[in-house]
Amino acid sequence: MIFLKLIGGFLIIFSSAILGFNYGNRFSKRFENLCFLEQCIKILETEIVYGAYPLPDALSNVYTKGNKKVSFIFERIKSHLLGSREGDVFNSFLSVADTAKDELSFKDEDIELFLSLGRILGSSDREDQEKNFRIVLNQIKLLQEDAKMEMDKNEKMYKNLGILMGIAIVLILL
Amino acid sequence: MEKKDIGIYENVLEYISLELSNILKKIPATYKANIEEIRLRSGAPLNIYCMNRDYFVTREGMITNEKEKGVMVERNDIMKTFQLISNYSVYAFEEEIRNGFITLKGGHRVGIGGKVLYGANGIDKIKNISSLNIRIAREKLGISNKLVKYIVDFPDSIYNTLIISPPQCGKTTILRDLIRNLSSGIDLLQGKGFKIGVIDERSEIAGMYNGIPQHNIGPRTDVLDGCNKKDGTMMLLRSMSPEIIAMDEIGNIQDVEAIHEILKAGVKIIATVHGNSIDDLLSRRSLNILVNDRIFKRYVFLDNSQGVGTIKSIIDGDTFTPI
Repeated sequence: MIFLKLIGGFLIIFSSAILGFNYGNRFSKRFENLCFLEQCIKILETEIVYGAYPLPDALSNVYTKGNKKVSFIFERIKSHLLGSREGDVFNSFLSVADTAKDELSFKDEDIELFLSLGRILGSSDREDQEKNFRIVLNQIKLLQEDAKMEMDKNEKMYKNLGILMGIAIVLILL
Repeated sequence: MEKKDIGIYENVLEYISLELSNILKKIPATYKANIEEIRLRSGAPLNIYCMNRDYFVTREGMITNEKEKGVMVERNDIMKTFQLISNYSVYAFEEEIRNGFITLKGGHRVGIGGKVLYGANGIDKIKNISSLNIRIAREKLGISNKLVKYIVDFPDSIYNTLIISPPQCGKTTILRDLIRNLSSGIDLLQGKGFKIGVIDERSEIAGMYNGIPQHNIGPRTDVLDGCNKKDGTMMLLRSMSPEIIAMDEIGNIQDVEAIHEILKAGVKIIATVHGNSIDDLLSRRSLNILVNDRIFKRYVFLDNSQGVGTIKSIIDGDTFTPI
């Protein structure tokens, strides 16, 4: 009987610890992905401002050169752009917004910044594109700082909280 | 032939916003095969130019002469079409936009209308694009076959030739086919082909897209795309050793200077110009010099009485009498 209780208690602590880890990891994942996104946007800026590649090619190059954890969304934007023939880059960005939120742990403000890139991308001359890239890259820095602060503050706390919650539940049940 | 023409039309529709291209897909096949221009103007009905007339297109894809029944083109349609034309990359077409047109795959040209902004070096950009004119390019292979025998100068050369017609009568089409014929080799000269340098200032002759001519201009032809005639002439003469230089739409005094340079080098010229008659040419100062100096030995006048590129008359440049 005690043996069973021990196994049960261990399972409870284990699962709540995993829960805590997962929740805590979201903060570090967001920070990490924002860094990768910044890298991808910098590649895109180079492709557009200096290379003057057509947007679909530039998006493909970002996918190839960037970190695949994030750069895959640029390949999806390209597929949507060429597949839909809507003549609207913003809609193609919008089509990956949910993916970015779910798979990359981005918050609403990160998505909003990402979409703001879609509003201007390809629609003006190089000088204007460069200015807009500067603005987006400055803003992403601020978001990274925010994500870093949240990560430092919450990641450890949620991880510990998960284990402690498990122990607390086991103690109550015992 | 009609099937091919419809195919060309349908390729062009790929560049038009989905809403409008769905409407344009429904127009009758005869119009599809003969359409020359699709005109989008912000706040005006959808307009096409076909068989020397213009028509409006209704929401159901019917052709009409009543502008009230034509489907209205919104600013949004223009923006979406412009995005598709520029492949979502306005920044990659800055130079072309400054020149007022973009060349599409297939050699079709899109003229742009809007607010022109000037910078330190002339036109800087075009903003608030309000109208687009999509000109569908159709090669007419063989259209110049009958002309070749009049411009051949036996035993192994050609006469300096000027092709003259009002707009939309096929000057460029006939020039392009003449270049193809002379470059490929002609039977009258035992299959001799000429080295031809083309100065394609407005990208209309070869229809270059990513460095590849979209029209058949023959195997011995070199193209300077987007280059002005004076600079192009010097570049070709210095390094490409052409036997013939071809250029479109001559008119200003720099073009006349360029032609004199060509003559000095012993190279032949084929050129086109807007106009109706020799008197019309004489009334323009720069062209007057060319006519009076007897530079061109053949004047070819075109009209479209029997379709684009109909040869109305060929006049000898020394005697000014028809041949």
